[in-house]
Amino acid sequence: MSIELETELGGEFEGDRGIRRVLLGTLGVVGFVVLWWVASLFNPPYVLPAPDAVAETFVGELQSGAMTTALVQSVTHWLPGTIVGTTLGVALGVTLAWSDLADDVAAPLVRVLRPVPPLALIGFAIAWIGINDGGAAFIIAAGAFWINYYAAYGGVDSVSAEFLDVGRSLGVTSDFGLVRKVVLPAASPEIITGVRTGIGRCWMLIIAAEIFGVPGIGRKILTASNNLAVDVVIAYILLMSLVYLVLDTGVEAVQNRVLAWR
Amino acid sequence: MRQRVTVAGVSKTYEGDAGPVRALDDVTFDVADGEFVCIVGPSGCGKTTLFRIIGGLERATSGDVLLSGEPVTGPSPDLGIVFQEYHLFPWRTVRGNVSFGLEQLGMAAGERRDRVDEMLDLVGLDGSGDSYPSRLSGGMKQRVAIARALAVDPELLLMDEPFGSVDAQTRAMLHRELLDVWGETEKTVLFVTHDVEEAVKLADRIVVMTPGPGSVREIVDIDLDRPRSRTDEAFAAYQEQVLGLIRE
Repeated sequence: MSIELETELGGEFEGDRGIRRVLLGTLGVVGFVVLWWVASLFNPPYVLPAPDAVAETFVGELQSGAMTTALVQSVTHWLPGTIVGTTLGVALGVTLAWSDLADDVAAPLVRVLRPVPPLALIGFAIAWIGINDGGAAFIIAAGAFWINYYAAYGGVDSVSAEFLDVGRSLGVTSDFGLVRKVVLPAASPEIITGVRTGIGRCWMLIIAAEIFGVPGIGRKILTASNNLAVDVVIAYILLMSLVYLVLDTGVEAVQNRVLAWR
Repeated sequence: MRQRVTVAGVSKTYEGDAGPVRALDDVTFDVADGEFVCIVGPSGCGKTTLFRIIGGLERATSGDVLLSGEPVTGPSPDLGIVFQEYHLFPWRTVRGNVSFGLEQLGMAAGERRDRVDEMLDLVGLDGSGDSYPSRLSGGMKQRVAIARALAVDPELLLMDEPFGSVDAQTRAMLHRELLDVWGETEKTVLFVTHDVEEAVKLADRIVVMTPGPGSVREIVDIDLDRPRSRTDEAFAAYQEQVLGLIRE
């Protein structure tokens, strides 16, 4: 009986903390919106629209279908770009971290290419692929590539030599076998963290990727900015944030599941 | 009795910053089939280097290690290795760890399951098969490591200070269990330690090493019935003798 009571009390305590956090969080958001609203009173709408005006625009864009269209357009290049960049980045990171030979050959190239921001590749995207989803995906892939390359490289590089000793002494004879059975699982926390970071960063990259005319959320924001339609800009920024929130929560859940052994 | 392991004139020289460093100097001894041999010596006597060479993890500069008459050229499932720090695969469950070597042998799933059950039973971990190593105590981790090494039925069980990271009480328990496992499996065991009492408690014979460069000072036969008690007079005498050899 007493044990049950204690558990109940403990649960209540945890619940209290949870409620407190939600309350304080709500307070923070409400405070921010109030500040925003006050500031909007002293500014014209093309500098800072009021929160309710933005909400109205958001609902309007959603009801007209414009928001869904933009979302689908962005996902159409974001998804393949992220998948291709992530795959190549992980593959190359693992290969270079594992093979001294490959590392020696590629090290100078990596140093030269690493500081090039994805945005600087727009010329190539247009020249090689064109002003289309493929071109935008190319830029996003470049962003995903480096994040995943470094995460995978670091992860594989830090796999302890003893794991390899154990693997070999238990009968793994080939390099490929060691990478598959020992190195990849040992480096999976770093690799998965890289993938998660990459997914988020690439979502933010859609603005840059759409800068040269490919339609999507980023294009909407850029056009609205040029037209001083700040309410539209904020509405689409909110959409990006909401999508990111859903996306990252989902990926985090997968991450926790896959890495349950930690 | 048949020789299981022959260490013949093994020397090892490392290239250090200040020129070559000799870690092992002409180490020679045998281990008979089914024998329990401990290697003891002061720290820095090259015990771990010797362990790695016998296990095929490192090459000797000169000399040979023979396992059942065949030269050891690299790590293999015939050499079951247990490290002080366990090195269990944290991403695999206890069962997954014990099963690892069996998978490399291409053993069928059903047969593998039976073998893993048998091994977990042997080390007394029947109830923890589905736990991940991060949930286990040091003593349990080392039981898993022993089960993992023994699962593939190696010719030699090679252990490097396996109980160096657990508390004294757990260590005493693991000693009893290891001797039980040894008795049950009739494996040949080569056990590296710096702890003389541990060596006298476990070994049929003790290879006493000199400080670096390590070589064999003397091989002491421990002629005591098991289970051995450290309060026993003969036990204390052996301990004194080995300690004396190390201090010499």
